[in-house]
Amino acid sequence: MKPQQPEAGEGNLLDRLRKSWFPAAAVVGALASFIAAALRLRPEPGTVLQTTEKPAPPVPPQQAGPNLPAGGFKREYRKSGSLVGGAAAQQFRSSLAGIAVGPGDRVYALGDGEIRTFEAGGSLVAVWKVVPNASCLAAGSDGHVCIGAPGRVEIYDPAGRHTGGFAAGDSAGRPAGITAVKWFRDEILAADADARLIRRYDRHGKQLGLIGTKARAGSFILPNGWLDFDVDAQGVIRATDTGRHQVTAWALDGTPLGSFGKFGMGNPEDFVGCCNPVNVAVTHDGKIVTGEKMVARVKVYEPDGRLLALVGPENFDPKCIHLHLAVDSKGWILVADPVRREVSRFFPVAEAADNAPLRDRETAGGIRQEYARI
Amino acid sequence: MIRSRRFRPLILLLMVLASSALFAQYQRKPPDFGGSYSFPSPEHPEPRSEWVRLLDVGMLVAGLALGTWLILKRRSRGGVMLLSIGALAYFGFYRKGCICPIGAIQNVTLSLTDPSYIVSLSIVVFFFLPLATALLFGRIFCGGVCPIGAIQDLVLLRPRKVPEKLDRALRWLPYLYLGLAVLFAGWGLGFKIGAWEVQAARRFLICEYDPFIGLFRISGAFHMLAIGAGFILAGMFFGRPYCRWLCPYGALLSILSRFSWKNVQVTPDKELDCGLCADACPYGAIHNYRADRASCLACARCYEYCPREQVLRGAGDEFVQVKLP
Amino acid sequence: MSDKSSRRQFIDRSFRIIGFLGIGGAAGVLTKRASSSAVYQIDPFKCTSCDLCRTSCVLSLSAVKAVNDFEKCGYCMLCPAYMDVNSRPDEKGIPTGKVCPQDALKRRVVGRVDLEDPNNNYYEYAIDETRCDGCGKCVKACLPPAGNGSLRLEIRYTRCVECNECAIRVVCPDDAIVRVPVPGMAPTADSSEREKA
Repeated sequence: MKPQQPEAGEGNLLDRLRKSWFPAAAVVGALASFIAAALRLRPEPGTVLQTTEKPAPPVPPQQAGPNLPAGGFKREYRKSGSLVGGAAAQQFRSSLAGIAVGPGDRVYALGDGEIRTFEAGGSLVAVWKVVPNASCLAAGSDGHVCIGAPGRVEIYDPAGRHTGGFAAGDSAGRPAGITAVKWFRDEILAADADARLIRRYDRHGKQLGLIGTKARAGSFILPNGWLDFDVDAQGVIRATDTGRHQVTAWALDGTPLGSFGKFGMGNPEDFVGCCNPVNVAVTHDGKIVTGEKMVARVKVYEPDGRLLALVGPENFDPKCIHLHLAVDSKGWILVADPVRREVSRFFPVAEAADNAPLRDRETAGGIRQEYARI
Repeated sequence: MIRSRRFRPLILLLMVLASSALFAQYQRKPPDFGGSYSFPSPEHPEPRSEWVRLLDVGMLVAGLALGTWLILKRRSRGGVMLLSIGALAYFGFYRKGCICPIGAIQNVTLSLTDPSYIVSLSIVVFFFLPLATALLFGRIFCGGVCPIGAIQDLVLLRPRKVPEKLDRALRWLPYLYLGLAVLFAGWGLGFKIGAWEVQAARRFLICEYDPFIGLFRISGAFHMLAIGAGFILAGMFFGRPYCRWLCPYGALLSILSRFSWKNVQVTPDKELDCGLCADACPYGAIHNYRADRASCLACARCYEYCPREQVLRGAGDEFVQVKLP
Repeated sequence: MSDKSSRRQFIDRSFRIIGFLGIGGAAGVLTKRASSSAVYQIDPFKCTSCDLCRTSCVLSLSAVKAVNDFEKCGYCMLCPAYMDVNSRPDEKGIPTGKVCPQDALKRRVVGRVDLEDPNNNYYEYAIDETRCDGCGKCVKACLPPAGNGSLRLEIRYTRCVECNECAIRVVCPDDAIVRVPVPGMAPTADSSEREKA
């Protein structure tokens, strides 16, 4: 009941409405806000992109590289067991950064801030302490070992004594981001992932040349920031170009010699994912071994890019971002799995006749590049 | 660009830790793009600055001060309504209902039970200042500053009286809700009865079941909007249902308001015992012709209807028309 | 009558004093401990991109967005977070499907441009925040070993309304949403110590 209001009358309803216009407006406003909020209620999630055709069923990545029987590949490799890690007696506690094979098929494994040397049979021979941030190592034919660390290369004699070292960097003094080192006769080749090229040094650190600058397409594209390479006895360097999914070949003076490889998820001959192959090694009979991530596998190629063999992902941890490779004189492949900290060895068991076809190459129409000047 | 040096450490720390987890020794450098591309720095928008949070405290202090003056000194319903509209606009729609003293109950509880819980000075002020004001001047916060109270107050169309017994029973709910909110905020719930086990983590019940937050944000889940709309509809006919029968902070305020130094006095000078104020009060807070300090929400409606007030305002000989039963 | 009122006044006054002491004491204890305000952020080490950020935020378009850390991004042409590497490839061998259901991950060629061979170019990937709803599919696809892990989910303060209790935090299965202090007011030495810790 409101004061100063006529007791009864026709103006009652109108008056009341007039006096209560404000609450009514507030109610309308509030309910309008609720309706606005209700209209903004999240709709069922749906895709914005509409494809006109039904997409093909996706290929699960782990099966993209099947372990085909020997009838499919020309060569088959079988695991011979682990040298370090896995079921072996020797274990690395916290890291495994690289492996190398030296004279007499000695295996050098870098991890935990030290180098462990194994005889070909598998027994531990020596343990040397090295700088803790070493990222790669190489063993020369005379038994000298060099390791690469950011901005530095250190050299050790066959007994493990530190005999020298030098700073590696560019002309402006920026330290090189060394991700791989290799001996070639008396020279040391170091991959500089920051500058995206390979530097040639002599033992004392004098830079003799650069590799990777002369390609017309430009120098390496390294989305994952890692450059790996290997050099064979003739001085041909095979380096990974992960952004282009290629294995590139170079002469020691930097002349580009060709490349092979392309991206592909279905054909086992291709390299999967965004940046592969991450590691490469060359065998004594001229074959090229590559390591990939995302589908962690190791493949063996002819120098012109034909796939010879595949060591499937069931052997390695799927979280690996590297599979460090080394090959010994018998053609056995050593693979270092840094997640499991395991060095496994694979030996070839079968070699098909030379003209046996590769099954998937025919169906997928993979591209092979012969040696070509680029 | 990262605009404040002070906020950088957290983001950079996370980024650096993340990168070092991937490459323990070698840190990858970004590529050399060639061309004219310059490397962008990531934008990390900053949260509201401390100065803007201080503004919240300032508005609270101003609102309480202005409310005290309007309710106790100036005794104006129009003034209180304007103040509550302003509070609704700022604390409700601009700040989207968050920060509020009702929710601060939970923060204060949690900070007392968990010493590592970060609580800011504004939360402390937001919780304690309206309580201190209640101890001094009554439920000024409810009358002029609380946005939840304001929205219910503004949509009040046709207040109906709730039966006394029902009202008294419902007035226990805020204490129950307060207890539950404190329990869940400080400890969560965990007990076993025989084979039946209940494990509930700590949660902020008041924030999760805030009926009007969907309105203030103009977005929300369906059940939140439905509860809010329900309270608005109820509020059209039963004055301030949330404030009277659910608000846990109101429970605290009503306890303290009982002992306030000065409080709402319906008449400016002498009591008439005519009972017009009791008819006017939509909240049933006038008992025995006096404003019940515990339940008076300081809306200032009763002033308008008191004949003594009208005399004071110079209504002259125009007295109230009383409809005799 | 006056007896009753003076006793009433006495009770009122004493309870008032007790009330003030209580309020003052509690407020004092908390002020000493009070430090800065706090906001919520996602801990990238714990987050597993479970998609709950998209649905649990109180806002209709979640305040959680994917953010690309440009320093870690590889700028790849074949970005596994941009294109679905398992989708059907076109005649050049490049996959045609996209990972982001809202098409919020955009890319553009930057640096020197090779028009002949797209594989030779660098692409800058950035997220369109008006479309991203925080589902985290791109974040999952960029995780190592597939990618560099440069994408992560982050609460963006231009959109976050700073609820008292983050609704996503209540449901996050990894406890990845943490409360971080906003550097600022530290009224006492005690609280500034706490902030540093």
